[in-house]
Amino acid sequence: MHEREAGWRSAYLFILPALLVFALFYLWPAVNTIISSFFTWSILAPWQAHDPDTWRFAGLGNYAAVLADGRFWNAALNTLIWLVVFPLLATFLSLLIALLVWEIGRGARFFRTVFVLPMTVSLTAAGVLWVLVFNPQFGVLSAALGAIGLDGAQLDAGPLQVRLSDWLSNPGSLALGPVTIEFVNLSAILPAVWALTGFGVISFTAGLTSISPELIEAATVEGASRYRIARDVVIPQLRGAMVIVAVVFVIYALRTFDVVWVTTQGGPGTDSEVVAVLLWRKALAFFDTPSAGQATAIAVLLSAVMVVGAYPYLRSLLRDRPE
Amino acid sequence: MSRRGDIGAMWWIYGLLAVLSLLWLVPVATVVMSALRPLGEIRDGWWNLAGATFTIDNFLGAWNEADLGSKTVNSFIITGFSVASTISIGALASYAFVRLRFRGRGLIYFLLISTMIVPVQIILIPLLPWFRTLGFAEGSWQPFLGMVLVHSAFGLGWAVFMMGSFMAAVPTELTEAGQIDGAGHFDIFRRIILPLALPGIVSFAIIDFVFVWNDLLLGLTLLDADHAPLTVGIANLQSAHLAQQDVISAGALLAILPPLALFVALNRYYVRGLFSGGVK
Repeated sequence: MHEREAGWRSAYLFILPALLVFALFYLWPAVNTIISSFFTWSILAPWQAHDPDTWRFAGLGNYAAVLADGRFWNAALNTLIWLVVFPLLATFLSLLIALLVWEIGRGARFFRTVFVLPMTVSLTAAGVLWVLVFNPQFGVLSAALGAIGLDGAQLDAGPLQVRLSDWLSNPGSLALGPVTIEFVNLSAILPAVWALTGFGVISFTAGLTSISPELIEAATVEGASRYRIARDVVIPQLRGAMVIVAVVFVIYALRTFDVVWVTTQGGPGTDSEVVAVLLWRKALAFFDTPSAGQATAIAVLLSAVMVVGAYPYLRSLLRDRPE
Repeated sequence: MSRRGDIGAMWWIYGLLAVLSLLWLVPVATVVMSALRPLGEIRDGWWNLAGATFTIDNFLGAWNEADLGSKTVNSFIITGFSVASTISIGALASYAFVRLRFRGRGLIYFLLISTMIVPVQIILIPLLPWFRTLGFAEGSWQPFLGMVLVHSAFGLGWAVFMMGSFMAAVPTELTEAGQIDGAGHFDIFRRIILPLALPGIVSFAIIDFVFVWNDLLLGLTLLDADHAPLTVGIANLQSAHLAQQDVISAGALLAILPPLALFVALNRYYVRGLFSGGVK
């Protein structure tokens, strides 16, 4: 018993610095976010736990205001576009690239490096790079489309409008009843795909190296084509990797901020404003507007969606807990 | 891994890879050329190489006039101290989780690991008033300290997850031998666990460096212009809507190079670290 208590004491010494930093700069701010989402406050006149004079209780008012706000649902729609397009595109491309690179012998290292290196690039810088590519005067995209006579081409098919120009302002939209999908969101998604596909390539490559060569040899002997082998033998083996890659991409899509901020600033208007950008603006665009409470309400909603959606992933992370 | 001699299929595979890698390299070529050439020249297309001149003026402009020089220094200060601090407190905590039993262990571990999923927005907004309360909002070094502590808190989950998995792989016989020799926990940690878990620590250091260096949201929210990192400087230049593509390009390259250099130098550790982080 005595020895066990001594063990505890030294355990706390090891964990104390981490606990202190975590409590002060994560736990308390997180709890603060949740509590202050029930109060009316601004950054300049914040809700403060120790000062009852700052407690302007709003009940569920902030949540009601957010959920009644058309701008919130616009941001939710844009985030939904991210949630669908980004994980699908990035997972598909990284799987395709990993498979192609796996098939070749010579040059595999070079190609893999090309796709993996952008992972180290910040989404801020990636946004800058793509804004240059999208530049209407000297961007590669306009020039390439111009070379085949398609620069500025327009398609006007009722609800579907496409314009092969103005990538960062108005490349078109698709009206689906009450909602309109703005294609300018794709211009913000593309840099993220460029930067983060490498993560999928690494994960799938690791999965591919663990497939036993006998399995593929057997299929080859039976005369299966390269495509059939990939579809029926290889890809089913990559299920585990695919789940992790998709989850990581979904988590990224849900909280995306940087690349939108740099490429479109959520614009034009609010056409590409995602939830994380709206949240930031509600609290921090003007320090004295008392909508910081609404911003924390959005943060709570966003986190709740994330925790519920990614709970299986969290469980799998916790399963690896050291015993 | 050409298993069969169907040369036609190989052509297709190489062709597709060539097209894809070209798409991936276009933004890189764009930024490099825009950074190295005068703005007047790239207006006709940077790919136009007839009579091209190359200059470092854009880098000088970014470093001095656009004030990205001081922001680069800020980025190094924030990132260096954040990584050092996260590793120090994270390694100690990892040891406790892997080798010691204590009350609240399960709960604390759960909370730390949750931060890998919960978005940073859950702490973001109250942090600014909190900084003012704690005196981190202004001063010469105080904002840096505040930022380092926030990054440390935010990185702890990953730190414990990754370094913990490497420490757990150290055979218990080794640490038990140490205990029999009468060594205390701190001696065991320093002499046995740390050296053996070093590859894991290096892996985490690289990933944390890339993460902190590339952060925009925390820097944008919490730091004034004197303490802002490079990412914030670039984002502000970008949203200024002025035709400064040459300077922005040079700035973007400044921001890209340090993590890239680290990656190229220590590629092996980086990839291994990513795999311990959930991709097994």
